[in-house]
Amino acid sequence: MGKIMLEVKDLKTKYITRFHEDVYSVDGVSLTIEEGKSLGIAGESGCGKSTLALSLMGYYFAPLHYVSGDIIVDGRNISGMNPDDVRKNILGNEIAYIPQAAMNALNPTQKIIRFIEDVIHAHDKSMSKKDIYDMAKERFAILGLPEDVLQKHAVELSGGMKQRTVIAISTILSPKVLIADEPSSALDVTSQKMVIKMMRDLMEKGYIKSMIFITHELPLLYNVTDDIMVMYAGRIVEKASAKDMVFDPLHPYSKGLMGSIIVPEEGVRDHKLTAIPGTPPNLKHPPEGCRFADRCKYATPTCKAMDPQTIELPNGRMYSCLMSERKLREVYANE
Amino acid sequence: MKNTLRQIFHSPKFVGGFCIFVFILAMMIIYPLINPGDPLERIGVETFSKPGIYFSMYDASTTKTSPFRLADADDKRVASKLSMEDRVAMVEWFGLAEVDVEGVSMDDTETLLKLWDENYSADKKIKMTQAKKKYFKRLNNSIQSLKAADKMEVVSKNPESGENETVTTIDKNAYVNVSDVTNTKILPLGTDNFGRDVLKELVSATRTSIGIGLIAGIVATLIGLTVGLLAGYVGGLVDDLLSLVTNLFTVIPSFILLILISYSLSQDQRGPSTVAVVIGLTSWTWTARSVRSQVISLRNRDHVNLSKLSGHSLVRIILTDILPYIASYVVMAFILQVSSGILAESQLSLLGLGPKTTVTPTLGLMMNWAMLYSAHLNGSWWAYFPVILTITLISFSLNLMNTGLDQVFNPELRD
Amino acid sequence: MKNYMKYFRKKIVWFLITLVFAVILNFLLPRLMPADPVAAITGKLTQGMTDASAAQEVYKRYAEEFGTNKSMFEQFILFVKKAVRGDFGLSFSQYPRSVSNIIGSAIGWTVALQLPAILVGWILGNLLGALAAYMRKGFDKILLPISLFCSNVPAFGMAVVLLVIFGINLKIAPIAGGYDASMIPNMSWKFFYSVFTHYQLPFWSIVLISIGGQAVGMRSMSIYELNADYVKYSRFLGIKDRKIVMYVFRNAMLPQITGLAMSIGTMIGGALVAEIIFSYPGLGSTMYAAVTAADYPLISATTLIITIMVLLANFLLDIIYAIIDPRVKAAQFD
Repeated sequence: MGKIMLEVKDLKTKYITRFHEDVYSVDGVSLTIEEGKSLGIAGESGCGKSTLALSLMGYYFAPLHYVSGDIIVDGRNISGMNPDDVRKNILGNEIAYIPQAAMNALNPTQKIIRFIEDVIHAHDKSMSKKDIYDMAKERFAILGLPEDVLQKHAVELSGGMKQRTVIAISTILSPKVLIADEPSSALDVTSQKMVIKMMRDLMEKGYIKSMIFITHELPLLYNVTDDIMVMYAGRIVEKASAKDMVFDPLHPYSKGLMGSIIVPEEGVRDHKLTAIPGTPPNLKHPPEGCRFADRCKYATPTCKAMDPQTIELPNGRMYSCLMSERKLREVYANE
Repeated sequence: MKNTLRQIFHSPKFVGGFCIFVFILAMMIIYPLINPGDPLERIGVETFSKPGIYFSMYDASTTKTSPFRLADADDKRVASKLSMEDRVAMVEWFGLAEVDVEGVSMDDTETLLKLWDENYSADKKIKMTQAKKKYFKRLNNSIQSLKAADKMEVVSKNPESGENETVTTIDKNAYVNVSDVTNTKILPLGTDNFGRDVLKELVSATRTSIGIGLIAGIVATLIGLTVGLLAGYVGGLVDDLLSLVTNLFTVIPSFILLILISYSLSQDQRGPSTVAVVIGLTSWTWTARSVRSQVISLRNRDHVNLSKLSGHSLVRIILTDILPYIASYVVMAFILQVSSGILAESQLSLLGLGPKTTVTPTLGLMMNWAMLYSAHLNGSWWAYFPVILTITLISFSLNLMNTGLDQVFNPELRD
Repeated sequence: MKNYMKYFRKKIVWFLITLVFAVILNFLLPRLMPADPVAAITGKLTQGMTDASAAQEVYKRYAEEFGTNKSMFEQFILFVKKAVRGDFGLSFSQYPRSVSNIIGSAIGWTVALQLPAILVGWILGNLLGALAAYMRKGFDKILLPISLFCSNVPAFGMAVVLLVIFGINLKIAPIAGGYDASMIPNMSWKFFYSVFTHYQLPFWSIVLISIGGQAVGMRSMSIYELNADYVKYSRFLGIKDRKIVMYVFRNAMLPQITGLAMSIGTMIGGALVAEIIFSYPGLGSTMYAAVTAADYPLISATTLIITIMVLLANFLLDIIYAIIDPRVKAAQFD
């Protein structure tokens, strides 16, 4: 087992709406990532995965608020830290973030190199502009980005180029954890491929030590990450290796999710394509008991009354359902 | 629709603006009922009478009186008549007589008089010229007479005998209830340079000005809407041409066009409604621009395409598939047009190019008259300040409503 | 660079088109009116004239000035030819001064007053607007309505209020003219001081009215920008809020240059009227005097000059904007 890069224990965060209602979008999430590993987080839109990405960084501003839980980065607990220390010591150099909408993630009126200078100076004031330029040039070259991008404004770059530039900037300080929120969703297939290749390169060359990859595109996760977690209504319902998750999902929700996609692998092709009926619950008023119960075709009255515990299997796999593994497999086999 | 209205009336900015505007409208309707008559009637013979309650001295002198004994009445009377010059002279005498007046204010009549009474004596040995001595003696006499006089006789010439006869004596302690006086006139905002009741004039002027704003707004909105719809929906060459015209009229200052047109119209042709139409004709460009860009973004929406495929006519598509979606922008633009129309009229009038001056007052004309007769230089604030305040309030309320609407329709701007 | 050249060329062509159009309007509008403009103008001028032959003389002079006896096209050519040479004829009200002479002595005052005032108002307004957007609750709640209120005070109203408070009641600034009436313009410090003191009230009244409108616009713009994705991204890269606010301020302020270009016509209109209140020796007062005295050549020339000034300001603002905002350059690629 490698060194643990990020450990999150029972993290809870909430949004406070304009009408002063609390929405718990991340409601007791725990996870760990070891060095050199990548973790995928999947789920329908609105399940809280983007909020989880934001919450993991330990830096909150309205309307998102921290409630409870611990975030431990490379052995250091950051959840109780003073926000300015988090900003200076953690964000960007320990945990880095690639936003969902990279199209608009760069300040349109600033040259890329000026922004890189700002990013580096936010953590290390002593570095000269020339050193920064040389460093950025080198990194861009390794990642296959042309040098003249540095002297351009964001508005002059194409969509794919912008996304790759954003990735290069996010990882310029070689963070321990990279959190990528749908980094390739809005791109065409070619750019998507380049982005994925870049992320892999970053991991292989050791510029990032671990990665959390958030997307609603499950096939992508299967190709990119080691493990996959499935999130539903603010909670993790299952965690497994990418292979297990795709071919042998345990939780009824994961099973439904996998059923609704086409995975271009042998053995999956012959199963029926199904959609999960219903919509995710409103997190302003989450239902009692198992949050998936309303949409679960295997649900019993107990499911709606009792919160399921997370069960860890001997192989490290985790799921949270009231049914045992054996029972679940029985139910699935009978279908 | 109902939901939108509810949202609009939940916006504090809109409601604030709406209330101010409704208040102004209510004043326009109610005040003429209380105080009817020609707003341009000249009631004053002199210019710029102060705001206040006026009552006829003639009638008051024969009105039933009630005696009051008010302790400070004498002092007040003397204070109002004791000139600054006299006070300075008194203090000068105190200085010569070495009376300690340290810390006594010039305005503190009571203390000054008390000190004077206690100390002044014509025989006091003070080194000063004979002329000065006489001067102070005179001063003392006048101070004493101010305090002493207690009755005033009203004398009138008897037409038969030609003798002066005392009609009545007015006691110092006689008070008259204003409501008992036969002829009184309440002038909350005084009179203007022509001796006209400013408040009455203002109410009438506000009505005309809002009317001008509305007409200008309607004209501008109709032109702007038509141009914007055609340019945006038809597109192509029509759009190019209309956009060219719109952009031309956007950069050329409308104020200048207004001046040129108004100047070329003779005085008799410039009624308030003509001025309003001219203002509307020069200010439609904003509406046209905003409508055009909205229509372009709507043009290829599914519901519009569906209507096109169904073979609906241009008019029907515009009425049912486009207008409802841009209605909020048009209303907002209209509100701004009204407020800028009112402002344009006032600026034009100030230049001397406003509506014909003899029939109805407008806010701009009132301002123009006040400036021509230097109301601002001679302290007659009531002749111009209420006008400025009214223009500001109308425009403020309309803009506030507009901001409120903007926040309802563009949620990013919400607090 | 190529894109810039394309942009500049486009703007120059646009400037020339608007200029030609403005000249045509200036020429045409008075002549398009239903009534005979010469009659209308001379009517005003000859009011109270008892001598019929004198009135006839005035009419003839105006007819000649207008060239109404020639065809419309010929008239226009004549008008343009003269205008290019700066020859706007002689003033009627200040005979025998030439119109260009009168305008020449007024234009400097107007530019020196309005250009700095509008710029200062623009900068202060933007600062306030950005502050309001950044503070939001509380500060914003007070500041926004105040800005809105101020921006709705008509220019002349602000001028009168300032004049009465500071000029008449507090007596800390002179109330009329561009310099002390007892002085003859010269290069002494005393004269400059007099100009400076006379400058204050008109200057601040224009500044105050332009602040409000700009602040309101800047606030909306800044709020849009504060919600932009780059703000969030920059924050998550550990960049300080103070720096991010600078990004936002810059990005919101640049489009305000266009906002200024759009509103400069209206602003100058208001400022000209404010000049009248202070009898400031600029174009506003010139125009007022011309209108009062029915001095047609002077009005025509003043309106033309003001239009050209506005067009020029617009043109320059467009160019400046293109140079400092890279988004314009990018838009040229499309």
